Amino acid sequence: MLLRSVDDSQINTVFPNTFEEYKKWDKEKDELPPEEVYKALFQELAYGEKVQVGRALTRMNYSKSGWKSLIKKTSRAIKKVVKKDEFPDSYKEFFIETNEKWADPTYWYAMGQMVNNQTSIYYWNAIDRTFDQELNVVQQEEDRRVYVQTWLKTLKVSIYVTLFCLILGFPVAHLLANLPLRYSNLLMIFVLLPFWTSLLVRTTAWIVMLQQKGVINGVLVWLGILSDDGRIAMVYNETGTLIAMTQILLPFMILPLYSVMRVIPKSHMRAAQNLGAKPVMAFWRVYLPQTIPGMSAGGLLVFVLAIGYFITPELVGGKDGKLIGSWIAYHLKTTLNWGLTAALGAILLGFMLIFYWLYNKIVGIDNIKLG
Amino acid sequence: MSKLIKAFLFASIICAPFAASAVTVASWGGAYTESQQKAYADTYSDPGSIVFENYNGGLGEVRAQVESGSVTWDLVDVLPGDAITGCDEGLFEDISSEIASMGVPGPDGESIAEDMENNGLEYHSGWDCCVPQIFWTYVVFYDPDAFPGEKPDSMADFFDVEKFPGKRGIHTWATGIIEKAMVADGVEPNAVPTVLEKQTGALDRAFAKLDTIKDHVVFWSSGSKPLELVKSGEVVMAIAYNGRVGAANLAEGENFEYIWEGQVLDQEYLCLTAGAPNRDAALDFMMHASSPESQAEQAKYITYGPMRASGIPIIVNGEPWGPGGVDIMPHMPNTPERLAVSIVSDPQWWSDNGAEIDERYAAWMGN
Amino acid sequence: MALPTYATPIQRTYYYAYLFFCAVVFFFLVAPLIAIVPISFSESPFMVFTEGMLAWPPDPEAWSLRWYRNMIGDCSAEVVSSTVPCSTKWMRGTVNSFYIGIIATFIATVLGTMAALGLSRPHMPYKALIMSILISPMIVPLIITAAGMFFFYARINLVYTFTGVILAHVALATPFVVITVTATLVGFDMNMVKAAQSLGAKPMRTFFKVIMPLILPGIISGALFAFITSFDEVVIVMFMASIDQLTIPKQMWAGIRQEISPVILCMATCLVILSIVLLTTVELLRRRAERLRGIKAR
Repeated sequence: MLLRSVDDSQINTVFPNTFEEYKKWDKEKDELPPEEVYKALFQELAYGEKVQVGRALTRMNYSKSGWKSLIKKTSRAIKKVVKKDEFPDSYKEFFIETNEKWADPTYWYAMGQMVNNQTSIYYWNAIDRTFDQELNVVQQEEDRRVYVQTWLKTLKVSIYVTLFCLILGFPVAHLLANLPLRYSNLLMIFVLLPFWTSLLVRTTAWIVMLQQKGVINGVLVWLGILSDDGRIAMVYNETGTLIAMTQILLPFMILPLYSVMRVIPKSHMRAAQNLGAKPVMAFWRVYLPQTIPGMSAGGLLVFVLAIGYFITPELVGGKDGKLIGSWIAYHLKTTLNWGLTAALGAILLGFMLIFYWLYNKIVGIDNIKLG
Repeated sequence: MSKLIKAFLFASIICAPFAASAVTVASWGGAYTESQQKAYADTYSDPGSIVFENYNGGLGEVRAQVESGSVTWDLVDVLPGDAITGCDEGLFEDISSEIASMGVPGPDGESIAEDMENNGLEYHSGWDCCVPQIFWTYVVFYDPDAFPGEKPDSMADFFDVEKFPGKRGIHTWATGIIEKAMVADGVEPNAVPTVLEKQTGALDRAFAKLDTIKDHVVFWSSGSKPLELVKSGEVVMAIAYNGRVGAANLAEGENFEYIWEGQVLDQEYLCLTAGAPNRDAALDFMMHASSPESQAEQAKYITYGPMRASGIPIIVNGEPWGPGGVDIMPHMPNTPERLAVSIVSDPQWWSDNGAEIDERYAAWMGN
Repeated sequence: MALPTYATPIQRTYYYAYLFFCAVVFFFLVAPLIAIVPISFSESPFMVFTEGMLAWPPDPEAWSLRWYRNMIGDCSAEVVSSTVPCSTKWMRGTVNSFYIGIIATFIATVLGTMAALGLSRPHMPYKALIMSILISPMIVPLIITAAGMFFFYARINLVYTFTGVILAHVALATPFVVITVTATLVGFDMNMVKAAQSLGAKPMRTFFKVIMPLILPGIISGALFAFITSFDEVVIVMFMASIDQLTIPKQMWAGIRQEISPVILCMATCLVILSIVLLTTVELLRRRAERLRGIKAR
């Protein structure tokens, strides 16, 4: 996968001579590339294999929209010329006559991105950067900047979900850890049942609960808290995503917290209080610090899982549901821009490895427990 | 122990190919595939030899199958943009000569291509690998009860939240909406594709128009959603696939009104995967599925219009063509008077610019 | 955890607020799962509580097994609704899910147990590193695993085959087995292996006669985890499975994306019941294991 993200050789095997000539073009001196470039491109379009050229076109269109039909129209004109055997005197003029876009240097600049066999362009694209004509890294046009925004949104959602899980999970884990075993085992079912139930089932269940005519709105209207027209939109927006993801990931917070709290001796709190600490103080200074391993384990686990989620946000998130995972799936399946897919994936993987390493540092990877 | 593993692996390998031999058609699922099953497969000489499979569009799977050489889909039902890309990239087989020689001609001997041109379509490279299916459209609809007084009847009204207050339901990707925004901005519907292609800044115009309803929008991403939104009153009008609205009106006794002006017609093709395991059988089925009769037949089950012009007279003469003795033409998107106020989406332009516009649209949604 | 009798009113308030909060969280965790059960028995094609269902006395007209019959592929006239497609896909999905799940579980359990046994040896080199690599599929986002596997499997012709899907699920499920079995091995007395070997048992015999019976609860709960992982998995099948490998999650995903129908809720209800069964089994096994260990410690 990592190879895919930097590989740019396919197009170079289709237009080798064109790129060879292209490298000789002095952009300072001439506005447009020299005649030889046009000629090489003419040859390679005229005698190249159709399928190979087709693939190269898909690639070229990533660097600048419009390449695809420009070359296709030109190819058709070239084929006619070859058939009639009337080769032009000036290839440059022939191209420009076929389509005026060939006189537009921005297309030629875009070609510069693809000259090398390896490229970092996909990584730059993945953070809304692109190359200018000199192959310097610059910001993407303003209205196409979408990935940085998505990365931030993914991060925001993950942080919120982690916080909510911590807030909701901490008291529950505390209760479970301090109840006598037979009660806590019974209550544990409430935590384990969602944990064992399919992700899709839980997602569907939340749609049923939260939708406009769903259970929660229904109950609120029935209780007279809401008017029938005043039903709240809780799903297909960020609220829905947060609620559903929090519930789905909550067990991953409760279980590590529980296993840590279980072994904290109750006598510590009592000792602190005997020594004169107020309950709040005792909790803050004595109990809480001991739960830090559990909190960090649960927090990291939830965060790491949340950051890569895309099924649930995609189904309940509506317009806000497009997190980074959705973009990966979109480029993999729809635009076929597999280079960008791989680059986005690699960046996400990088994040993950950092957190994984942290996790290992803090709790040790073999301390993960289930159920 | 390792012997056991081997045995299991082996068992799973030999179990794998037991599906082959039938022609596999990848399509969109739901009521649409149901209508294909009834109109194409059930009327075919050997209905049992056709199997439909669902996919979610896009060429990702096709490319993986072709590149790895393990093709399992014989035919793929695709949008025109994917037909073009797939044909250019060699994911679909170029069968232009077979289509010309084997295609079922219209009543006056029109070839498939001529028949499509009679319907106002222009050649693109997808035609070399694929046969036409249906026209479907992004159409705006509303519940007349929501507007006791004057009713909206144009794109300008859809984008006018002062004249017609209330939320609008629109989808989470750009196709269709851009064109509608252009119409609302005063462009003649038939001229929209040309303006988008030729005029610099046309996209900015479309997005500026979209900005005017930004705060009054509910987004949807699954096809059944806009109907729920309108029915529950959450929005007063929504863009939807016309087939969904038609089904609600015909089968469930709803009374939704369409705004045909500014509807965006999109095409649908059936393409032959390169290296399809049942190539010849699939080719034969393609020809059956693209005959004027089959295309007209499909209108019985879903309100999508035939892409071949000669399919329409069959429906008109056969009325009542719809289920339970209803006339179907009032729900069809491509009658002459509706076509006059419609946009035929330009697949070549979308295939050039689609990815970029989708990114821009996503950025717009997110801000 | 009961309140001491000498608690002040403020402490009492705090305590009850705390209990109430926990109750709310428990409710939050389980309520959605319970809510879908009655709706799946609805007569209506919409996923809502209809008025008839809420009426008292209950209106028998409002309740039906219609969607369950649809789910098992019974498309007779009184079942079919114009908005809900009816097919045998749910049943085929169920068969495939079990087929893939069971084979993947078997392989994952064997591999996972062997890995755990090796890793629990005290002098195993690079233990932490191996453990990290083994567990990585659990932590790495599925979408990345799926994309990576998709590229890799496409190259070796395994995409859209049962073998491919099964192998992918094995990779996902093995870590769960490793973790549970490792946890059981913590309480395992290695001297017993030495004892068996000194009495002349070959390694295989030692494993089957001595180690295996003792760590069996761990292996079984690991296997159940592996099964549920494969059974619920949707991202991998989305990318790597074709119609022949249609599984329940894949069919559910398609259903939720296109039209949400009560049939999905029927399947969801069945899956909730399945998870209750599996959960109970694991819980019983865990208790048994604790008892066994308790005896040993004495």
